[in-house]
Amino acid sequence: MHGKSGASPVRRAADDDTAYLAAIVDSSADAVLGTDNDGVIRSWNRACERMLGYSAAQMIGTSVFDIIPPELHEEARAIRARVSMGESVESFETVRLTRQGRPIEVSITFSPIRTKADGIIGISGIVRDVSQSKKAERSAAMLAAIVASSSDGVVSKTLDGTITSWNRSAERIFGYSESEMINQSIRRLIPPERQAEEDRILATVISGAIVDNFETIRIRKDGAQIDVSVTVSPVRDGTGRIIGASKIVRDITDKRQTREQLRTLLAEVNHRSKNLLSLVQAIARQMTRHGRQLDLSRFLERLQAIAGNQDLLIQNDWRFIPLGDLVRSQLGAFSDPIGNRIAIEGPQIELTPEAAQTIGMAIHELATNAAKYGALSNDDGRIVIRWRTDGTIFDMSWTENGGPQVAPPTHTGFGSRVISDMVQSGLDATVEVQFPVTGLRWHLACPLQRLSRSRLHAKR
Amino acid sequence: MRSGDKIHILIVEDDPMIGFDLAVELEDVGFAVVGVAPTVAKALDLLKRHTCDLAVLDVNLGLETSAPIARALVAAGVPFVAVTGYSVDQCPEEFARAPLLSKPFQTARLVAALKQQLHR
Repeated sequence: MHGKSGASPVRRAADDDTAYLAAIVDSSADAVLGTDNDGVIRSWNRACERMLGYSAAQMIGTSVFDIIPPELHEEARAIRARVSMGESVESFETVRLTRQGRPIEVSITFSPIRTKADGIIGISGIVRDVSQSKKAERSAAMLAAIVASSSDGVVSKTLDGTITSWNRSAERIFGYSESEMINQSIRRLIPPERQAEEDRILATVISGAIVDNFETIRIRKDGAQIDVSVTVSPVRDGTGRIIGASKIVRDITDKRQTREQLRTLLAEVNHRSKNLLSLVQAIARQMTRHGRQLDLSRFLERLQAIAGNQDLLIQNDWRFIPLGDLVRSQLGAFSDPIGNRIAIEGPQIELTPEAAQTIGMAIHELATNAAKYGALSNDDGRIVIRWRTDGTIFDMSWTENGGPQVAPPTHTGFGSRVISDMVQSGLDATVEVQFPVTGLRWHLACPLQRLSRSRLHAKR
Repeated sequence: MRSGDKIHILIVEDDPMIGFDLAVELEDVGFAVVGVAPTVAKALDLLKRHTCDLAVLDVNLGLETSAPIARALVAAGVPFVAVTGYSVDQCPEEFARAPLLSKPFQTARLVAALKQQLHR
């Protein structure tokens, strides 16, 4: 209890002594109140007024239970019973209500009030507001829980690199348990050739600066090297002096791998897009050979056909294109008669991207020709597209029937070079194109391994 | 072009249309195209069976690179020009000393680079 300083030590009369004691209580920084054995308030100092908002005049004579939340009345009665039997209860943590009805967390020391004759005539309470320290305690517990459950490794160390705390994620990342690492040097985790890093990190922290997301390599207990990102910050004591460092470690092995994959992917995209431009250039060049004018709409149709291949390739993770899907996609513009006027028959074969492009372009040219001059240019024509393989040789045919009478073309344009020359050189194939009056016949034979890498899924 | 017999050239290119176009273009300017190889195996096979004076190598052949072909050409003393969709720093070291054309390119530039290789 804090007394008022400057009181004179001269002898006083008994009344003066009583008044003096009352003054000490009244000016105490702690709230002090007294009740009789029935809980009727008999004294209420100024600190009580400040803490709970009621004046002495308002409270003296009323029941102490008015400042106790109803759900704690039972608890209060039990304590009062013990104290009125002569016991003291120290620093009992509970809740009291202010005049506004706001609960505040308090610590109360209860003592019996005795007369000279040792009879107990009431109970005194010294009440301390602990809501601030409770709040601090709770936020400290919260922070500790956050550290413990963080998915990042959180480690603290002294300024010479001795580990003082080690959370569960640090255990997971490095493989060492807390007991294996406390009081050990952080250098244990650092590869020999990187020991100088720790000198730099400590120097930075001692200067008061933060080492932010430093990406480096550390060693696990099992000897494996891992990629980590480390953030190290100075830890200060109450006076601001730097006494250690806290370290947040993140395992970025996955992130680095993702970054490498992305780099590879971008190089691949670069390569493929330039290749596509070369392909477009090659088509334009072949379409305009011998000074021919570029037929823009045909050129654009061909670009669309290539774009269609690209979609199929992406659907299959850029690994292969199923031949059936390819044929159907290339006939997309003419899809109405599929199953009716166009028959497609053949086992499922996974074409390499290059073979798919070759066959796709050939089918596109054949279909365009059929729509213009062949079986799809009247209402009765039919086309049978058939392929098969014996596991070694692949064999594919396009046979038209029922269209207008056919005569061999008078010149070889881009389309006819695609369906014969390009297919021949691209697939090591033998290609035959015939023009009987009944309709065009196109036949291709090549080694199966030139167009498919996978084992055949033969289901005929 | 040398008078008399033609210069024999090997084309390594995995895209059938681009390979076909290159062959037509180079034949137009007077080369004799030994073949268009879309794979390392096919290229090495063609090299074994034909005499080549020159080669055009596409660096990336889908699942493989043409680096083994470059090594075989260097060993045989056959000059070559590399073409690629990759940037220069993405190419295998076998191509470090060969002229490198970035795709797409005009035939005239390729022909100029090929002739330069021939007269080194």
